[in-house]
Amino acid sequence: MTTGTAIGALKRARSGVGNAGPGRSANNSKRRFSHSRIFFLFLLPSLILVILLNLYPVIYAGIQSLSNGDLLSAGEFVGLANYIAVLQSPEFWHAAIFTVVFTIVGVFGSWIVGISLALLLRTRIPANGVFKVLLLLPWVVPIVVSAMSWNWLVATPQSPLPMLAQALGFGNVLFLANPFLAQITVCVFKVWISFPFMMMMMASALTSVDVNVYEASKVDGATAVQTFTRITLPMIARTTYISWILMTIFCVNDFPSIFLLTGGGPVNSTQTLVVLAYTTVFQNFQTGPGVAIAFMMTIVLVIISTLLYRQIRKVNIE
Amino acid sequence: MTAQTSSVITGRPIAGVRPEAGVRSEAKARSMKRPTLTQMQEKGKWWRFLAILIITVIVVIPIVAVVFLALSPALGSTATGLTFENFVNVFTQTDVATWLKNSLIVTLITVVVAVIVAAPAGYVLSRGRSRAVSGYSLILFVVQSLPVVTAVIPLFFLFAQVGLVDTLASVTIIYVGSTMAVAIWMMAAYFDSIPVTLEEAAWMDGASVFGGFTRIVLRNSLPGVLSTAIFAFLLAWNDYLVAVVFLRSNDNYTLPIGLQSFFQQNQTNWGLVMAVAVIMMLPPVILFALLNRYFSVGGIGGSLAGR
Repeated sequence: MTTGTAIGALKRARSGVGNAGPGRSANNSKRRFSHSRIFFLFLLPSLILVILLNLYPVIYAGIQSLSNGDLLSAGEFVGLANYIAVLQSPEFWHAAIFTVVFTIVGVFGSWIVGISLALLLRTRIPANGVFKVLLLLPWVVPIVVSAMSWNWLVATPQSPLPMLAQALGFGNVLFLANPFLAQITVCVFKVWISFPFMMMMMASALTSVDVNVYEASKVDGATAVQTFTRITLPMIARTTYISWILMTIFCVNDFPSIFLLTGGGPVNSTQTLVVLAYTTVFQNFQTGPGVAIAFMMTIVLVIISTLLYRQIRKVNIE
Repeated sequence: MTAQTSSVITGRPIAGVRPEAGVRSEAKARSMKRPTLTQMQEKGKWWRFLAILIITVIVVIPIVAVVFLALSPALGSTATGLTFENFVNVFTQTDVATWLKNSLIVTLITVVVAVIVAAPAGYVLSRGRSRAVSGYSLILFVVQSLPVVTAVIPLFFLFAQVGLVDTLASVTIIYVGSTMAVAIWMMAAYFDSIPVTLEEAAWMDGASVFGGFTRIVLRNSLPGVLSTAIFAFLLAWNDYLVAVVFLRSNDNYTLPIGLQSFFQQNQTNWGLVMAVAVIMMLPPVILFALLNRYFSVGGIGGSLAGR
């Protein structure tokens, strides 16, 4: 599994831009003027797309969140009324809390499974390569398909897992009808989808750890736990940190895995902020409050990703 | 980072790197009786094999179930064993062919446009070093972390005014837009690995900047282009949110929406539903089998965009 380019993409953030810095020859500086024009033309198509489809909507969302319009008309300016309404609704706080829980479980659950498997697959095991490929499948398969398959596994009392639970004497277990069990199911589903990403990130970080260090620690009588916490973990700390933050962003933004499995139910127990924003706008037709929720999330995510960007760059300077 | 000599977490020296003298000799004496690392690895091999086998089986059960259900006999059929009845029924009874066609059109256009637009921009990000360029790089980094919902609501408003709602064009445009940030970064990361001296040589020989880019850099960047293409493919092929918002009529459904609506109408006929599911999952799985290496990279990029 090569993760080179993606890691490279992260390294880019660290080094600022490009590799052309010091290696740039004098010959180049003569061309700088023509370069900057051509470079602008090179950037132009993407710039137009980014402004039109990424930046403009975000700014427009900010305006929409301050007005009482709907999906088809702009409406009037109402100040912070939408935000006040949203912040006063218990639904919003419930969704906010579940978003945090879902994110924490998603990030650390997938990380624990991912790093365990990466460590296990690094050792000598027969048919190692086959397992590596098979374990990536949850992440290769489209989410609509896997949500459907999990529905088949758990949704009704006649599904395989509830039948199994019954046979084992747990009685009638309704995975998606009981609010608490539905929350657990959604979190487990998220971990199942996400651990291959963590496994790949961790596996690529582990390849950079020098095996001789382990021999040395073995000779000095370090236990397996000591070896892990004092050697392996510090050496892969940076990639771990980056993958946590990335996974946080994915979890907060995750719409389909919750919407397709539970639709946010039962009784809104699995509703996250993204799902709440979607249902508020497209099912309850309250554009203003829905956009307000989305816009608040946007601000939080801009802060998180700017911090991540800074952090990645800082690490490089050290 | 000083990770090699001391633990970042505990701040203490790592065992084995800077041990005190007494501890070392004692440990050495013990280690004489202990098997070496490689012997240990050899010893637990089959236990670990068993553990990973059990984990893998549990992990792939939901996916194997999809294929198995799709290949089982149709409801009310007399056939036994594995059959393709469900697939035949699905093509004759539903619009899956239309959905598949729509998905393919949308995805292929997204892939082509994304690569064509992202490649030159990635080149600038790789070679340029002005403030504007690094500012653009930060904007792209922030943009890729934003929730799709935030963009979708204003775009719906905008597209409704120009009559683009419920067209394949609307979702294609949005997919291209949402691939941009990660696609540019991926291309730039690959171009970073190509030495600038190659272009400089070409410039000496009288090539233009554009010529140097297409004939020297791009020609040597097949892996980067493939990874970016796979990323764009996955994003467009798997998307649910944008499609469910913008596509309203059956003729315009892409596979995810078609599958979901078909599932809601036929909740009990799992064979038929899973046949559609298999049709949807085959292209990514086949790509994965063929282009495993690039796929991992593209997929991580895909995850970067948030699933």
